[in-house]
Amino acid sequence: MIRFEHVSKRYASGHDALAELSFELAPGEMAFITGHSGAGKSTLLKLIALIERPTRGQIVVGGRNLADVRRRGIPEVRRSVGMVFQDHRLLLDRSVFDNVAMPLVIAGASREEVAKRARAALDKVGLLARERTQPAALSTGEQQRVGIARAIVSKPAVLIADEPTGNLDPQLSAEVMALFGEFQQVGTTVLVASHDLPLVKRMGKRVLVLDHGRLIDDYRPGPGANA
Amino acid sequence: MNRRIAANRSKAQPASAVAPRNRGSARAWREQHLASAASSLRRIAARPFATALTVTVLSLALALPLLFWLLLDNARQLGGSFDNAGAISVFLKPHADAEAIAARLRTRAEIASVELKTPEQGLEEFRSQSGFADALKVLRYNPLPAALIVNLRPDAGEPAAASLVDELGRDSAVDLVQYDAQWRRRLSAILALVARTADVLAAVLAFAALLVIGNTVRLDIQGRAEEIEIMQLLGASDGFVRRPFLYTGLWYGVFAGLLSVTLIGIVEAALAGPLAQLTASYGERFSVHGLAPSGMFAVLGASAALGWLGAWLTASRHIALGQPH
Repeated sequence: MIRFEHVSKRYASGHDALAELSFELAPGEMAFITGHSGAGKSTLLKLIALIERPTRGQIVVGGRNLADVRRRGIPEVRRSVGMVFQDHRLLLDRSVFDNVAMPLVIAGASREEVAKRARAALDKVGLLARERTQPAALSTGEQQRVGIARAIVSKPAVLIADEPTGNLDPQLSAEVMALFGEFQQVGTTVLVASHDLPLVKRMGKRVLVLDHGRLIDDYRPGPGANA
Repeated sequence: MNRRIAANRSKAQPASAVAPRNRGSARAWREQHLASAASSLRRIAARPFATALTVTVLSLALALPLLFWLLLDNARQLGGSFDNAGAISVFLKPHADAEAIAARLRTRAEIASVELKTPEQGLEEFRSQSGFADALKVLRYNPLPAALIVNLRPDAGEPAAASLVDELGRDSAVDLVQYDAQWRRRLSAILALVARTADVLAAVLAFAALLVIGNTVRLDIQGRAEEIEIMQLLGASDGFVRRPFLYTGLWYGVFAGLLSVTLIGIVEAALAGPLAQLTASYGERFSVHGLAPSGMFAVLGASAALGWLGAWLTASRHIALGQPH
């Protein structure tokens, strides 16, 4: 579903964020990316969402080579990838419902369709009762769950998350990670960047370890370890 | 009967399974545009002072060339009321034999007709048209000479007219030759100059209006930079992100158009009294017209288009910056 072939990324500042990175994620697979801060986790996710372009190498997502995607095609790629951010990036002047509905509105769905699917997504993250609330009135954990509802509302084949539990306490973190596990079970390919190693280990999923932009470990749990 | 309906329905199904989707997306498109238009309106209504300022500046930029054009249009109409301007007026000396001169001129090939105006006719005409009827009453004798109005054939051309004017001027029985085409040419040259000035002014002010709208929309875009970025991350196309700003520009244009039409109405109302007095003193020989309803709609349309264009130019430039190349 996601394939990196010898991908390098050097920023205009001269900083090498990724070097010769190759890996492949099968459809419906879930993996974590860990590593110290600045190891290239965020850059890797940004390349998948075409927020950045690689300096060298190929990235194929859902059978599409991202190098072939021109500027006008970027929105379509992003609509096929659900994104969760550490700072949730909600629009604070709109209700929880409007935030979650945004990807559907952008995709041009009808009002009934938007209402139905946004409520289903909110129900999935347990926040249906708060749909009329403003995001600022929610707790950090709830805001992050709204962000997740927004990422999965249009049922993307790929879900990527950049430090989704960075601002959460351990219990909320575990809940949010469990949520990602549920999406994998319905067939979504999930890639989560996190430096919370104990939590990542408890999830029992594949772990890609980055160090200074290089892949130094690709740990796959044995059968049975998959929780 | 029932079976036939059922058969038709089952046959129609594949087609109708596609149709609702198209209808649905067209409706979604309409809904989105309505929502964009409404939210843009709410946004500019939320800052009444800044909006009023922008709209006022825009409407002045629109109203100024419009007033110019109106003035010009009236001046043209006034010029058009001198329908005899192609004719040569020949004022004869007292005691000259007007009939004989007229008869001689009528035989010439380049002349279509010669009209003789006796001093009495001339005085009567002057009295009724000039507005000096009362002043003329004090005259004890008729100071006007006899006059000939010489109409050239349409195909006679300027050189023939000039040589005729020249020849008549040297005639001992002729006091003065007045060829109206000359000052008419000057008038039309002046009107053309004023018209060009108005066009240039309109172009400059339209450009200024674009800049004002562009700058307002730019500030709006900067104020909503985070929202735009999030929408782009969620896969919004440039068109989707641009849309609310285009409606903002459209609303500014519509309101500025309405205000400029109102301003012109106010100017017309303010001038109506003095103008009525002026035309009355000329015996209503000319009238002054204001902005016609069709002109008002044209102003509104042009203003709205200007608003849309100004927003489009700015939004296209600034929104594209959020995407990698």
